[in-house]
Amino acid sequence: MGLDYKWVLWNAHKKTYDRLILLGMVTYLVLFFVLSFLTNPEIIAETVIIRAFGSLAIIMLHIILAIGPLSRLNPRFLPLLYNRRHLGVSMFLAALVHGVFAIIQFHALGNSNPIVSVFTSNMDYGSLVNFPFQVLGFLALLILFTMASTSHDFFLHNLSPKIWKGLHMGVYLAYALVIMHVFLGAFQQDTSFLTVLALFLGLITLVSLHVRAALKEAKIDGFVWAKDTKGWLAVCHPREIAESYAKIFTVDGERVAIFKHEGKLSAIHNVCKHQGGPLGEGKIVDGCVTCPWHGYQYLAHNGQSPPPFTEKVKTYALKIENDMVYINPEAFPEGTAVTPISSGS
Amino acid sequence: METAITIFLGILSGYFAIGLLFALYVMLIGARKIDPLLADSKKGIRVLLFPGVVATWPFFFAKLFRFRRS
Ligand code: HEM
Ligand code: FES
Repeated sequence: MGLDYKWVLWNAHKKTYDRLILLGMVTYLVLFFVLSFLTNPEIIAETVIIRAFGSLAIIMLHIILAIGPLSRLNPRFLPLLYNRRHLGVSMFLAALVHGVFAIIQFHALGNSNPIVSVFTSNMDYGSLVNFPFQVLGFLALLILFTMASTSHDFFLHNLSPKIWKGLHMGVYLAYALVIMHVFLGAFQQDTSFLTVLALFLGLITLVSLHVRAALKEAKIDGFVWAKDTKGWLAVCHPREIAESYAKIFTVDGERVAIFKHEGKLSAIHNVCKHQGGPLGEGKIVDGCVTCPWHGYQYLAHNGQSPPPFTEKVKTYALKIENDMVYINPEAFPEGTAVTPISSGS
Repeated sequence: METAITIFLGILSGYFAIGLLFALYVMLIGARKIDPLLADSKKGIRVLLFPGVVATWPFFFAKLFRFRRS
């Protein structure tokens, strides 16, 4: 969408969120250090650094993975979704500090190359309990590096959307590796029972959030709407759509998002031209429907990206009768202007 | 197992070594062949993109090749 590349497409919100991320990370680290030294004055600083940054990274990874389903279940989480990229990069940096310190602490003193030593210092690959858990952390860190380093829009444009998406699905593989890294590590190090318990609860929470979000999607697709005599579908009451947000409906097999902007309703195809992001899960920012995935913008009344951009999506006709919103399932061609209808609220 | 580890780390370091050289070439010389938009962007942005090109160089390599032929 951009006309040239910037370090970051800054806006006021992103700066606020970045400050929050930084503040959160610093607070966590300081607390971790203070509590570690208070409970165990003999502990060495390197160990505390390794543990503090490792646990910070995995907490951030949980938040990142929870944001997707959370914002599907409740649009109030959307601002987090729009700002997830920097959270991802910060998480990688925390994991990197953890990995680098662990390698220095445990592998840099011998004669062999420290990276080789991560793989060969414990050759118990056949064992479950004694498995070289650091290898799993190393592989996870490689994946996180690939994702963090390609998070800029430049890569979105240049590694076809399909490949980019595929790369970034790697976060689930990284998560699985990290979980095993910590669980197996717990058998070999004096990882506290609380860490393992927290990780287990985190895993259950993430799985159930993803399942609930998927069920919600399935429900949207499975619904059959009542029709009026002209074939228009009665989808909801006008007040069920919140100002600046949308509800998504599947009409004739296509997903459509009905937005409310300044009290008026407009319907556009739910599929973003960029990579197929769900527009109806986004909100209206600065007068434009803003895609929750990468922030492409469209005007709700004509489905067009504001100039100088040229993306266009299909639009649909709406009407309100007897306090019900009706939609004509026949779409207009992409970019057709439709006068928004007053929702009476 | 040791052979497997040696092969894996060999491939990995080879991949990153080529990636480093390739990313240097792209960022210093070949930027506009990869993406014309880069020519119009500030030079500093290339520092930010550098690690990602190291990580995903085969895709850019293919792209450069297509550009040459067309
Ligand atoms: C090169 C890569 C890595 C190496 C060499 C490594 C090494 C280690 C070591 C030696 C420990 C045990 C520390 C101790 O208990 O004293 C550990 C624990 C841990 N690692 Fe990693 N790790 C790597 C990557 C990662 C990544 C990518 C993550 C998460 C995103 C991660 C998360 C953790 C966590 C949460 C613990 C448990 C901390 C605790 O005991 O409280 N590690 N790692
Ligand atoms: S899918 Fe990328 S902005 Fe919509």
